[in-house]
Amino acid sequence: MLEVRGIEVSYGEFLALRGISFTVQEGELVTIIGANGAGKSTILRAVMGLVKCRKGKIFFNEEDITSSPTHHRARLGISLVPEGRKIFPDLTVAENLFMGAYIQEDRRAVQSRMEEAFSLFPVLKERQNQVGKTLSGGEQQMLAIARALMSRPRVILMDEVSLGLMPIYVEETFKVIENLHRQGVTILLVEQNARKALQAANRGYVLETGEIVLSDQAKKLALNPQVKKAYLGGT
Amino acid sequence: MLWQQLANGIAIGSVYALISLGLTMVYGILRILHVAHAGIYALGAYVGLFSFRLIGNFWLSLIVGMAGAAIAGYFVERLLYTPLLHLPRIAPLIVSIGLFTALEEAFRIVAGPHTLAYNARVGLGDLSIGSFHLTETQILILLVTLAILIFLWAFLTKTRTGLAMRACAQDPETTSSFGVNVSAIIAVNFLIGSAMAGAAGVLIGVYDNQVWPTMGSIPAYKALAIVVLGGLGNIPGTVLASIVVGLAETFFIGVLAIPFPRDAVAFVAMILVLMFKPYGLLGKA
Ligand SMILES: Nc1ncnc2c1ncn2[C@@H]1O[C@H](COP(=O)(O)OP(=O)(O)OP(=O)(O)O)[C@@H](O)[C@H]1O
Ligand SMILES: [Mg+2]
Repeated sequence: MLEVRGIEVSYGEFLALRGISFTVQEGELVTIIGANGAGKSTILRAVMGLVKCRKGKIFFNEEDITSSPTHHRARLGISLVPEGRKIFPDLTVAENLFMGAYIQEDRRAVQSRMEEAFSLFPVLKERQNQVGKTLSGGEQQMLAIARALMSRPRVILMDEVSLGLMPIYVEETFKVIENLHRQGVTILLVEQNARKALQAANRGYVLETGEIVLSDQAKKLALNPQVKKAYLGGT
Repeated sequence: MLWQQLANGIAIGSVYALISLGLTMVYGILRILHVAHAGIYALGAYVGLFSFRLIGNFWLSLIVGMAGAAIAGYFVERLLYTPLLHLPRIAPLIVSIGLFTALEEAFRIVAGPHTLAYNARVGLGDLSIGSFHLTETQILILLVTLAILIFLWAFLTKTRTGLAMRACAQDPETTSSFGVNVSAIIAVNFLIGSAMAGAAGVLIGVYDNQVWPTMGSIPAYKALAIVVLGGLGNIPGTVLASIVVGLAETFFIGVLAIPFPRDAVAFVAMILVLMFKPYGLLGKA
């Protein structure tokens, strides 16, 4: 469904991605793990079209989208939960959700998705008329996930969605992710919490300073001694 | 007397609002100080005047003036600002100042250096209640401004495109990732802002019964003061600041009869407010 072939991305002189290739099949949950600054967010931003690739190609359902503008990719069904949540601070919760459903013009469909979002995260319903910046960090994270689902994406890119959440919300968030996966949503997940990510995922890639150094079934990666040592806190 | 000054102040403040709103909207979405906006305002007055001479109907000339300004604003954005967006903001600012001067010269060359009368029959009539008196053009200004503000409010709060425009002003990148064509939103932003400036040009043309090449000079810097006063990029703040400046001008000059240059009032107000509220009347950090 999503195929990335040898992409290179640089920020000025600095080469952040040095020829990255990976695939995500329809219905899969794939995770990319790596240390801070390895380039995980850059990969997701490249897939969304928020940074330009100097080299390489990106295909979505066989269509070459390497040079498509971001809004075009969104219309094809790619959705991003960005790093740092990126809630619109002065829009209300309901308006943030409406923005998530921007490509859906049928108002009734939007309304029913809104109800689904509220049943997924009931707290958002209580807060629907509050502006984004007044939500707590955890509430903003839920809103970011709910907002990215409003467009009924075919693939959803999630960047550190559990970051800064209380353990109970981390559990909750992973439950949501696994549920989405069961419903057949294709997911590309980037996580600091490598243990949880590998538990939930089908396959995983390990990223080190802009290069993919390992790729395998998630279960096997979780048992790999190198991965254990570097990302799962020893043993 | 007091009521009279109040009405005069609100009328003039309304025109300031129509000019300043476009400026604050452009700042909100592109972070550019669009100085040439005042040139678009004068252009609207000229286009309105010439179309009035051709068709003889004021309301039609108002619409043509707004359309002319909107189209001009659109081309300024597409041809001058968008290609410069990757540069530091000083580059589009310099271009904007240059364009403003060029527009004034163009008006002089095309329409001559003298003031031209915009002697339009609006067909509303004056309104007198006791000593309280509203001229026909004041009523016109109040009605047109009210209609435009209601339209703007409804557009920004009730439509998908308006919502996307507000989102864009907060975070264009995230907005685009939801399928919004940000470049189209910026174009709509310029079309609306410029149409409002064009309406202000036509209204002032009729109110003062004159249109002249440098009619944008004073509004150019006064609108900047108002926009800062309202909190850069803040739409309700800009409307409030415009009315405050309009009222302050009429009260200082009309009621207190202080021999104070009228056009300095906006700046004094700006300085005073910024001393206590550095982000403007309704601004946020
Ligand atoms: N806008 C930018 N300008 C310059 N360098 C950048 C920019 N964004 C990222 N980088 C650099 O690119 C590299 C990869 O950054 P990226 O954000 O993709 O890392 P990451 O794997 O997501 O890290 P983290 O786990 O901390 O979120 C880093 O070295 C970072 O400093
Ligand atoms: Mg990151």
